[in-house]
Amino acid sequence: MKRRHFLGGSAMVGAGLMAGGLPRLANAQSKEITVTAFGGVWEEAVRTCFVAPFEAKTKAKANVSLGGPPQWLAQVEANQAKPPVDVLIMTPDLALSAAKADLVDTFTVDKLPNLAKIPQELTDSVMGKGTLFDYGVGGITFHKERVSNPPKSFAEFVDRVASGELVASVPSISYAVTPIMLIWAMAKALGGGVENVDPFFKAMEKMKDNLVYWGGPNDFFNHLSSGEADVGIYFDGRTWNHYDSGATWIDFINPEEGGSLNGVAVQKPKNADPLAWDYINEILDAQNQTKFADIMNYGVTNTDVVYSEKLKPRITPWQKTAFPPYEQIAEVRNEWVDRWNREIGR
Amino acid sequence: MKRDWINIALAAFVVLFFVFMLAPILIVVLVSFTSAGYVSFPIPGWSTKWFARIFEYQPFIDAMIVSIQIAIGATVLSCLIGIPASLYLARSRSAWANAVMTFLLSPLSMPMIVIGFASLFFLSWLGVGISFTALLITHTVVCLPYIVRTVAGVYAGIPRSYEEAAAILGANTLLTFWHVTLPLIRPGIMAGSLFSFLTSFDNLPISYFFGSADTNTLPVVMLSYLENQFDPTIAALSTLQLLLAVVALLIVDRVYGIDKMTVAG
Repeated sequence: MKRRHFLGGSAMVGAGLMAGGLPRLANAQSKEITVTAFGGVWEEAVRTCFVAPFEAKTKAKANVSLGGPPQWLAQVEANQAKPPVDVLIMTPDLALSAAKADLVDTFTVDKLPNLAKIPQELTDSVMGKGTLFDYGVGGITFHKERVSNPPKSFAEFVDRVASGELVASVPSISYAVTPIMLIWAMAKALGGGVENVDPFFKAMEKMKDNLVYWGGPNDFFNHLSSGEADVGIYFDGRTWNHYDSGATWIDFINPEEGGSLNGVAVQKPKNADPLAWDYINEILDAQNQTKFADIMNYGVTNTDVVYSEKLKPRITPWQKTAFPPYEQIAEVRNEWVDRWNREIGR
Repeated sequence: MKRDWINIALAAFVVLFFVFMLAPILIVVLVSFTSAGYVSFPIPGWSTKWFARIFEYQPFIDAMIVSIQIAIGATVLSCLIGIPASLYLARSRSAWANAVMTFLLSPLSMPMIVIGFASLFFLSWLGVGISFTALLITHTVVCLPYIVRTVAGVYAGIPRSYEEAAAILGANTLLTFWHVTLPLIRPGIMAGSLFSFLTSFDNLPISYFFGSADTNTLPVVMLSYLENQFDPTIAALSTLQLLLAVVALLIVDRVYGIDKMTVAG
C-alpha cells in the first residue's frame, strides 16, 4: 500500500467515524436489571432501601445508573425495543411525557401488590403509567436567626418582600421545577391558577427589588448562609438535610395556602425486564419507604408508613399540600417560560 | 514619567486579572478543607474528611476509572485516525480535501449537547446502544478535531524538501516518516493529545446521554451528586482534579517542555 493511499484511507476512516459508521454491536443479555437513582445520599438510600431487599428476595442483581430524568428518558426513547434502564425515576412532567409517548407500562395491582397502598390520586397524576413514591413540598425556608417571625403564607411572603422588610431567594426559570413550585403555587395562593397566572407575575413585579434568584439548590443555601437573602421558596426535605448537616439556623414552613407537592415518579419502560416489577414493588413497600424517608427527610406515599418521631414534625402530609395539575401545567409551561423571559428575564 | 505610569497601570491590570481568575479557584480549594458539613466561606475550621469521602463513595472511583479509560482511548483513536488524515489533507491539492478537513473539524463548531443527543439516537439505531463503545466513538468524534487541527497546522508549515531530502538519501516511506516527519510534527501531536485528553475528561454534555451503570463518567456523577447532596465533597474532588492537572503539566513540562507544545498553536 502506498503511503498516500494509507493516509487517504485514514482520512476516509476519520470521516466515516464522524458519521458513526461502525458495525453493530449486540447488547449482552443477563439476569440483571438496571435501575436509576440520583447521586449522593439518594443513591445510597436507593441501594439500602430498595436494591438490597430486591436482591435478597429475587437473587437477581440490580445495577444502579446515576444521572437524571431527561437523560434516562432520552435513552429509553432511543432504545425502545431494548431499553437500557428497566426502572425510571422521573419528575412528574417527564413521567407524563413518557406516558403520553407510550414509552412506559401501565401500573396495576396484579403486577404490583403494594400499589394498593398508594393513594389513587398519586397514580392517576401520571395517567396510571407509574406512580409517585416520594415527594417534597415547595414552601418557605428561612434563616431563623435573622427572621424571628417568618411569613406564614405566600400572601404574607409577597407583602413583606415587596415592602423591603425581607430579601427573598426564589428559583430562576432555569430550574426545572420553577413552573410548579413557584409560578403555579404562588398564582394559586394569590387567587389564580393554571388558567390565570397574572397574580404571580404581578407579585413578582412588586417584589422585584428585593429578590435574588437561585439556579440550583446549592445557590439557595449560599444565599441564606451568606446573608444575601433572609427567606426563600425551597423544598422541605432539602431544608432538613441542611439542618442535619449542621446548618441549624435554617427552618421551613408549609405556607397556609399549601406548598406545591413535587413528586418523584417511578415507571417501567415498555420492553424492560419483567423483574423490574419486583423492584418497583419494593419501592412501594411500606417498610422500605419508611427507611427511605428516614434517610432522605422527604415524605413517602405508602399509606401504611409510620414516620419516626424525628421525622413526624418535618413531613407535611400530601393532603395538606397543593396538588399540582401536572398535565395542565405541562401544556402551558412553554407560555409561562416565555412570559417569564419577557417580564422577569432571569 | 508617562511611560512609568503606563507600566504601573499595566502591571496592576495583570495582577487584578490574575486575582479575578484565580480567586474563585482558591475559594474552592479552601472550602474543600472545611470542617463544616456544608459549603460556606469563610470556613469555620480545617478538616480533610471531604477528601476521604471521595474514596468512600464508590461511584466517584468507578466513574474516575471510566473517565480516564475513555479519555486515553479517545486520544489514542484520535491520533491513529487524525495523524494520517492530517498528513494527507495538509498536502493534498484535490478539491475534496478541503471539504473533508472542514468535516473533520466540524464538531468544534457544533454545540456538544446536539452532538450528544444526535449520537445517542444514531448509535442506538445502529445497535451500539448505551455502551462503552458508543461513549468511546462519540468522544473520539469530538477529540479528533484537536489532533487534526494541530497536526495539520504544524505539518503545513514544514517544507516538503525535508522529506524529499530523506527520500533522495535512500530512506523509504516508513523511515522518512519515523526519522523526519514524526519528530517535526511531534509538538502538534503532543498539543493535540493534551487538548484531546482534557476535552474528553471534562466532557459532560456527551457523556450525559451515554451514562449507564457501567459507563458513567466523573462529570456525570459529579453533576448528579451536586444536585442532591450539599456537602463539600465536590470541592474536594475539584481540588484533587486541579492537583492532578498541575502535576500532569509539570511532568509534561519536565519530560517534553510546554514551550515546545505552544509552537503548535
